[in-house]
Amino acid sequence: MMDVIQQLREQAKKLLEEKKVDLVIGFGQGTELARTTPVFIDSPEGVSKLTWGPFCANNLAKYLTDYKNAPGNIAVVVKGCDSRSINRLLDDNQISRDKVVIIGVPCSGQLEWQKVSAEIKPGASLKEVVDNGDSVSVKTDAGDYKFDKKDYLLHRCLVCENPNPVVSDLTIGKEQPVKNYEDRFAEVQALEQMSTEEKNAYWDKQFSRCLRCYACRNVCSVCTCQTCVFDQMLPMWVSKRTNLSENTAFHLTRAFHVAGRCVDCGECDRVCPMDIPLRKLNQKIHKDLGDLFESPTPGTKPGLVSPLGEFSPGDPEEFM
Amino acid sequence: MSNPTALTPYPATITKIDVEASDTKTFTVVFDDPEIMENFGNQPGQVCMLSAFGEGESTISITSSPTRGKFLEFCVRRVGRLTSVLHQMEVGQKIGVRGPYGNGFPYETMKGKDLFFVGGGSALAPIRSLIDYALSEQYRSDYGKVEILYGARSMDDILFKSDLAERWPKIHNTGIYTTIDREEEGWKGHVGFVPSYVEEVAPSPENKIAIVAGPPIMIKFTLPVFAKLGFKDDQIITTLEMRMKCCLGKCGRCNIGSKFICVDGPVFSLAQLKQMPQEY
Amino acid sequence: MESRVVNKGQISELLDKLAKDYNLIAPIKEETMTLFRRVSGAQDVLLDYNNSDISPKGCFLPQNEKTFSYMYTGDTLEINKPEGVQKTVLFGARPCDIKAILTFDPVFEGVKFGDEYYSNKRKSTVIIGLSCSKVLSTCFCYAMGGGPCDGTGSDLLLTEIGDKYYVEVNTEKGKALVDAYSQIFSSQGAEQLAKDKEELAKKLSGEFVRKVDLTGVKEVLDGNFELPYWDGDNAKKCIGCGTCTYVCPTCHCFDIFDYPTGDFTGDRLRCWDSCMFPEYTLEAGGHNPRPTRKERIRNRFMHKIKYHLDRYNMVGCVGCGRCVNKCPVNIDITKIINDLKEVAQNV
Ligand SMILES: Cc1cc2nc3c(=O)[nH]c(=O)nc-3n(C[C@H](O)[C@H](O)[C@H](O)COP(=O)(O)OP(=O)(O)OC[C@H]3O[C@@H](n4cnc5c(N)ncnc54)[C@H](O)[C@@H]3O)c2cc1C
Ligand code: SF4
Ligand code: SF4
Ligand code: SF4
Ligand code: SF4
Ligand code: SF4
Ligand code: FES
Repeated sequence: MMDVIQQLREQAKKLLEEKKVDLVIGFGQGTELARTTPVFIDSPEGVSKLTWGPFCANNLAKYLTDYKNAPGNIAVVVKGCDSRSINRLLDDNQISRDKVVIIGVPCSGQLEWQKVSAEIKPGASLKEVVDNGDSVSVKTDAGDYKFDKKDYLLHRCLVCENPNPVVSDLTIGKEQPVKNYEDRFAEVQALEQMSTEEKNAYWDKQFSRCLRCYACRNVCSVCTCQTCVFDQMLPMWVSKRTNLSENTAFHLTRAFHVAGRCVDCGECDRVCPMDIPLRKLNQKIHKDLGDLFESPTPGTKPGLVSPLGEFSPGDPEEFM
Repeated sequence: MSNPTALTPYPATITKIDVEASDTKTFTVVFDDPEIMENFGNQPGQVCMLSAFGEGESTISITSSPTRGKFLEFCVRRVGRLTSVLHQMEVGQKIGVRGPYGNGFPYETMKGKDLFFVGGGSALAPIRSLIDYALSEQYRSDYGKVEILYGARSMDDILFKSDLAERWPKIHNTGIYTTIDREEEGWKGHVGFVPSYVEEVAPSPENKIAIVAGPPIMIKFTLPVFAKLGFKDDQIITTLEMRMKCCLGKCGRCNIGSKFICVDGPVFSLAQLKQMPQEY
Repeated sequence: MESRVVNKGQISELLDKLAKDYNLIAPIKEETMTLFRRVSGAQDVLLDYNNSDISPKGCFLPQNEKTFSYMYTGDTLEINKPEGVQKTVLFGARPCDIKAILTFDPVFEGVKFGDEYYSNKRKSTVIIGLSCSKVLSTCFCYAMGGGPCDGTGSDLLLTEIGDKYYVEVNTEKGKALVDAYSQIFSSQGAEQLAKDKEELAKKLSGEFVRKVDLTGVKEVLDGNFELPYWDGDNAKKCIGCGTCTYVCPTCHCFDIFDYPTGDFTGDRLRCWDSCMFPEYTLEAGGHNPRPTRKERIRNRFMHKIKYHLDRYNMVGCVGCGRCVNKCPVNIDITKIINDLKEVAQNV
């Protein structure tokens, strides 16, 4: 892990020194041992802020559209899942390819910081992180800890499709083995087994917790509308009231609006302060798109056409 | 008057509607409960929250002076949801009104002084309450010369036309200066923007208070003119607008620094404004 | 100040009784979440919890609140306010969250305008606080004038000690409740427990890991609205969600709008709102005095550590750590305070 961090800093420094980019967006140490935070570096001296490890959950591709019209180029650090966002943004003409330098880092999974934090002595500081394959060792000044990946990984990482970035200009770190997960949709399948009433009850319970803070929408890298319908005042489609019907309207609209574009980075799911399993909604759509149209996860290749964004005479049309 | 429920409006009826301009109407409104009307106690420069049921509420200045009788006038420009609905209303229809809110103009400390009003566009509405207060029979002798310099984009956009042309000029010791932005057929008055007209009229700062209200851009260019003429910061009074919801200092959104415009404003002297963050 | 003792074995009995006699709001577990909800008896109540995910501020300022309903035909108008409020017990609130209610009081019960919706609930609610038994890494109440065993603002404060709860009776309201259930609240052994509580408070106060110190921070903000600091990373990484403000126990901002329920009828609602949303200050015509995340971030943190202090002589943050925990991009008020202290050295 240390050598990845070292190389990241060197490459970022080079890019900034050679004026290939004006800004590097990467991960920096956060305010908890097991947490990182996005950092925005605009000078070679700043690169020491860059870090890497199993606590880099954020999808930084999200920020690229903020700089769409800014002068100069931007380098961004991406994991495998995040790199799918870049393909999507390119396909949606949200960013131009020559404006970004993609620093890809193969990833062996991101841990849920809250779970890890709960185990570690409060206030301890990080000394070293070692990836042992199935587990991660975290060495701190207050002792060493070991976390089994199967218990501590983010859900999305347990079934990671692209541990290695699918698009990048430079890659830092060792390529990670790609696994084929038979049970990639296990959670969705379990939901599908439920009766309609059970499904309704399940989702009603989830949606009724929603605060409508819109973190899930705002963190989404493929939510790129200038004015979201949920913010529009004239006409006002949904109010600020939180109740089951308005919350459901929000969730279904959101899920369908990103259907065929959602790259399954799992960020909405991660950031929800109410632990609403948003990824299950998106995954259901991914699964159906796969089953019906043999459509791969959006963003896995450049130039993938979304089956929901295109019409072909061979499309099934059972509903017409 | 104290309103125990604060967020609940009182039912009121529209008794008169004057079309001021293509996008602006003045509504005369009377509370259904005469006791509320009697005790409303509005002061020049204060505002109300008007409800159009089904659309919500908007902050609108009381443009009438309490000295003119037991009614309220609201001059409303059609810009969005609620104001559009108000514009479709007719005499006899009901709205909700709560208030009065805000600090109002410091009309007591202005006593004994000359007043020079500057209004741009629809911002004549908030200062009109003070103009009429100072020009009322009751209080006329408390104030010196009252001058009003008003600028509108075009002839059609001039608000309170009869006040400007007839009512105010007839009152003792007043001066009215009206200007429009561009030449227009049938217009015999002054042409040009407000700041340069102020420079032309060149009021002397002696024992005078300037009350300036208008769009931000007009304010921005008018304030230096007053400074050049020798007005001190505490001789210049203006009113601010921020988006408002409660008007009670609770919903949070109208703050500029630690001040809530709905309760600590909307009226501030330039001296006070300079102490506040420039975030409006 | 009086004190009492409740045996742990009797806490269920107390909760069941409270649920019968009052509208009882208490911490519960819903899947992974700890939330305050209305409960029907002891079986639902979560007694052993760290800070809840959402504070109990909704007891006094619900996320959705009907202020009145109307029936309006154009020519006729009828306004009906909701019926009176129920007698309520808020059980198990943590000291920081109770302190947060004290920061609401001057906002809603200010000298100029009251707020009967708030006041009615406030008056008819008995607050039974529960001292913390653990300090989380995100907690910093000590730096905001509170503490894990601080009973300020509570009517009763319970502190778990061994197989007992030590009960401090802090108000007349609390006294009345204790007297009404005198078979559960005994006086025996209270003196010893008072000492044990002191010990516990001392022990816990040593467990805070976040070093936060407000001295000098307001002073630098007083004189400097435009600090280059606000242009920094926080403004760049914030995603402008409402998470930090919705989970914050001291955030009181709301929106007001009408919600039609029929052709002629509807409700006027007030619902939580957030200064981190762009539309919060957006005026008709498009002007926005806080147009970018920089101004909005500055407003939020200035409100917490300066504006609320200026107006009400109370910090607008109680150190509950929720925003620290929940912010998707790790914007951390304790870091901001520390950064500003550093900035203060250099201006
Ligand atoms: C102190 C003060 C005095 C005002 N006096 C007058 C007046 O005398 N005449 C007049 O025509 N207008 C006045 N306004 C502006 C008026 O409040 C807005 O134009 C009006 O609220 C727009 O509402 P809308 O529903 O038509 O627009 P929308 O764009 O649909 O706005 C939706 C909501 O946003 C809020 N809002 C939007 N813009 C503003 C704004 N500029 N100020 C406050 N809230 C806003 C309102 O709550 C409104 O209901 C005043 C504003 C303030 C703050
Ligand atoms: S989903 Fe895959 S690429 Fe993304 S963080 Fe998890 S392991 Fe890494
Ligand atoms: S992040 Fe969670 S609580 Fe917030 S709007 Fe999305 S689903 Fe609702
Ligand atoms: S929770 Fe974090 S990202 Fe969201 S608005 Fe607050 S500071 Fe910004
Ligand atoms: S600002 Fe953050 S730490 Fe402070 S009271 Fe609010 S949520 Fe808690
Ligand atoms: S202004 Fe912002 S930070 Fe302050 S109470 Fe309102 S929402 Fe919270
Ligand atoms: S309008 Fe609500 S605080 Fe000013």
